[in-house]
Amino acid sequence: MAMAGDLISDSGNSSAAAAPKLRVDESHCYGDFLVHEGIRFDVRENEFLCVCGPSGCGKTTLLDILSGNMKPTQGSVKLDGHEINPRRDRVSFVFQEPSTLPWLTVRDNVSTGLRIRRTDAAERDRQVDAIIGMVGLKGFEDHYPHQISGGMKQRVAIARAFVIDADLILMDEPFVSLDQPTRERMQREVLDVWERRRRTVIFVTHNIEEAVFLGDRIIVLSTKPARIVADIAIPLDRPRDPLSTDFIALRTQCSEKLHAMQA
Amino acid sequence: MAVPATAPERDDAAAPTAADVTETAALKRPRVKKSVSTWLWNIAVLIVTLGLWQVATALVGSPFFPGPVAIARAFVDLVQAGDTSGITLWEHAWASITRVMVGFALAILFGVPLGIFMGLYPRTYENSRVILEPFRFIPPIAWIPLAIIFFSGMPRFAFLIFLGAFFPIFTAAMVGVARVEPIHRKVGLVFGASKSWIIRHIVLPTILPDILGGMRVGLGAAWLTIVAAELAGGISTGLGRMMVNYAELVQIPQVVVGMLLIGAIGFLMNEALLLLEKRLFRWRWQVTL
Ligand SMILES: Nc1ncnc2c1ncn2[C@@H]1O[C@H](COP(=O)(O)OP(=O)(O)OP(=O)(O)O)[C@@H](O)[C@H]1O
Ligand SMILES: [Mg+2]
Repeated sequence: MAMAGDLISDSGNSSAAAAPKLRVDESHCYGDFLVHEGIRFDVRENEFLCVCGPSGCGKTTLLDILSGNMKPTQGSVKLDGHEINPRRDRVSFVFQEPSTLPWLTVRDNVSTGLRIRRTDAAERDRQVDAIIGMVGLKGFEDHYPHQISGGMKQRVAIARAFVIDADLILMDEPFVSLDQPTRERMQREVLDVWERRRRTVIFVTHNIEEAVFLGDRIIVLSTKPARIVADIAIPLDRPRDPLSTDFIALRTQCSEKLHAMQA
Repeated sequence: MAVPATAPERDDAAAPTAADVTETAALKRPRVKKSVSTWLWNIAVLIVTLGLWQVATALVGSPFFPGPVAIARAFVDLVQAGDTSGITLWEHAWASITRVMVGFALAILFGVPLGIFMGLYPRTYENSRVILEPFRFIPPIAWIPLAIIFFSGMPRFAFLIFLGAFFPIFTAAMVGVARVEPIHRKVGLVFGASKSWIIRHIVLPTILPDILGGMRVGLGAAWLTIVAAELAGGISTGLGRMMVNYAELVQIPQVVVGMLLIGAIGFLMNEALLLLEKRLFRWRWQVTL
């Protein structure tokens, strides 16, 4: 398991150097409706990529395609050079909507992915205990989802995604239903977990501020159909200060792309 | 709700906040507990009812209107000496119970898998509605004449009970599958689960409460059917049989003993299923009634 320490050297567009972790090249239609047109990008190993775009532009659709559970009408998604396949590749997902399983305790919810992959029981318990500590749910292991708050449930979903040794973690506006302070806390938590366990993360949000705070890189999508209108590196050190001039400059740059495209 | 006994490893933002914990306490499931006073009230109501009944029978003074004392005497008599041919009350009751259990088990054995199958592949149900739906509306009692011709003994009862209990269980399972949340199925798919894993770990837990609900309805139907089935001739045991025998002799207390025992057994079976439901579904909000 890759733990914190094996830090990546720099962020930016240096994807030409090593073979990319993920290579996306697809177009997609729902019936006659073209949602994605020529979506083409690479993601480096352990990169934290944010995807921004207006509501309804096809961000969830993109993640469904990246997860391998939906075939794009044209093109493909390649992980380490082969077509992605959820049964074989380790992909995990944090959904836009609440997704804890109400009949399982916090512990069993977190271990869902490990149980699907038949991880040895002792090893599973060890990993689950560690991640539950990391997301601050210690003492709540035997609670059922209806006994914990919405924010805690979302942390269960995040722990469930991070506990498996995933090649790819997909997160779909995971904090959209949370209030501002909770959202900020969760953003720091996700970065914290990610820094301890580096993974390739694709994080969907329509919140520019959030994207600039979290990502190594931001892709901005247009709508109807979605195309990539900007691909911006965020070369800021973490933890980032949303009030610094560099941060504000990058945020403004992204907002302009988004607004120019919507106009 | 207990605040975690052990402090979280980190004391920073990730620790559950006071807000989390209060919200959690507020979300605690409201429990309808049977208090001691409820029990006392039930006992009091029972005693008063029996007392009034006894007084009323004393005033009427007719053998066609037996009171609790006469019925209790008939009960003791049936338990100790048995009926006119020496079969005890427990033997009659046990005969009925085993018949119900066999038919009921068959209904579960066929109803649950078929319900899950047709729930997963709704086309199979849609395409065979023309048979399934009218079948459902033939009451099991309407099958008794045919059952008498084709079967005897246990197979006859098992068949009739099966018909009574099958549809509630089958329907509950099938409808339950349709209500599996797409997001829950997606959780399995995204983490690479096989179809059979999703059926066992997502579909089954979701529909289990529905199945148990269907089982309670099915059990009610089964218990109704057994008495009617036993009224038909050709057998010597069963509560229904015993009641008919005594009705022919116009010995009303024994008939009432049969009625009350049927009520009591049905009640106990239902309570057992309710208890099972409570044990299995601690994760659910709803209090089942
Ligand atoms: N299964 C489907 N069949 C047909 N059209 C669909 C389907 N799913 C999504 N769409 C359409 O595709 C477009 C993109 O949907 P998608 O859910 O990917 O948007 P999104 O970017 O995630 O939006 P939001 O930010 O609101 O979550 C929408 O116009 C939607 O109506
Ligand atoms: Mg979406």
